[in-house]
Amino acid sequence: MIKKHQPLRKFPDYKSSISRSPNKEPLWINSSSSEMSGPLFSEKIINKNDNDLTLNFSKIGEKPLGQEIFVHGFVKDENGNNLKNVLIEIWQANAGGKYRHQNDPSNIKLDENFGGCGRFITSSDGYYIFKTIEPGAYPYPNRGTEWRPRHIHFSLFGSMFLQRLITQMYFEGDPLIKSCPMINSIPDINARKLLIGRLDLSKTENEKILGYRFDIILRGKEQTFFENKREGL
Amino acid sequence: MNEPKKLIDTPSQTAGPFLHIGCTPRITGINIFKNELGLTPFQDISDNEAINIKGKIYDGNDEPIIDAMIETWQCDANGNYSNNQGFARIVTDFKTGEYQLKTIRPGNEINTDGSLTASYITFWIVARGMNRPLITRMYFLENDLKNDLMLKSIKIEDRLNTLIPYTKDNKNFIFNIYLQGKKETIFFEF
Ligand SMILES: [Fe+3]
Repeated sequence: MIKKHQPLRKFPDYKSSISRSPNKEPLWINSSSSEMSGPLFSEKIINKNDNDLTLNFSKIGEKPLGQEIFVHGFVKDENGNNLKNVLIEIWQANAGGKYRHQNDPSNIKLDENFGGCGRFITSSDGYYIFKTIEPGAYPYPNRGTEWRPRHIHFSLFGSMFLQRLITQMYFEGDPLIKSCPMINSIPDINARKLLIGRLDLSKTENEKILGYRFDIILRGKEQTFFENKREGL
Repeated sequence: MNEPKKLIDTPSQTAGPFLHIGCTPRITGINIFKNELGLTPFQDISDNEAINIKGKIYDGNDEPIIDAMIETWQCDANGNYSNNQGFARIVTDFKTGEYQLKTIRPGNEINTDGSLTASYITFWIVARGMNRPLITRMYFLENDLKNDLMLKSIKIEDRLNTLIPYTKDNKNFIFNIYLQGKKETIFFEF
């Protein structure tokens, strides 16, 4: 049983998925109160600049290197309702494609003014916005050395664990998207496009900052429609 | 009647090996947020009620996964889920792959027919190489899983023991998760 708009767990083109996915089918069960509930995070955990990655780590008066961008959009459920109080956490590489992480083997320099993470809680109309810099592409070992398209990692908490999502936003027009096995692990070609942040020239600031629009859809309360019947029922 | 057209939910993508930057930033030396999320599932857990769970997540090569994040979600001792407790976020150790969770024993949810469900803790797992999260549950030994409403319709009796941790004292539990092989853990989809 496959949800065609969600990636396959085992997708041999993405080599590490081979040993890091189960061999047996998962068991489809009805969600219970455990999946229909979840932690709720309050505005109180957010500092004013948590969603500004050009400011939240930099020294006073300094800025990280790279093209400054806005990434913004709405979080909705499957029925198109805007979702408020959704905690969004993002993380990304710096402009050179280097992560502030002890396990990143790249010898590209860290940017002393860039941490690479941010947080935001969607407003009453489901809106979110981050200010950051465009991350660099970076190489990783897969089938030999391959390059990840530029991307920002997104983590979202809806109002129940069923909606919990970790995903990535890619950048419109990035030529590395086409060959990325992580994107291509999604069988539905149209669903892959949902991961692309679209250039949004309506969202700029002083003609210095580019805008990208990235809307995110979380599952609704209803059971998703499955193309195949559940086994054993 | 025509159902209104549903939007497609955004596809999942791997959290990658550097998920700590966004999810547990202090581990990477980033201390800009007010607090880390899910440091403990409940405030002030007394020694009396505390249970300790630890274990490793083994990949298909029997190697422990050193860059996974586990989020656990559970009800309180009375079987109630709340918005502000019951959630923990833990990562596996960069060297050994071990995770550790100090929590309390969850109670039993009450089914609509008045019966009790077996008590369990949900484990939601992401890591490099996982295009989608893996979801499993840790049940407790004395639960009668074979008669549990949720599980009894499912022909997995021979694998039910993969959901039960090892314990000598009912205080300290070892719950290893196996992605593949003879001991492959049962994972759930909803
Ligand atoms: Fe990445």
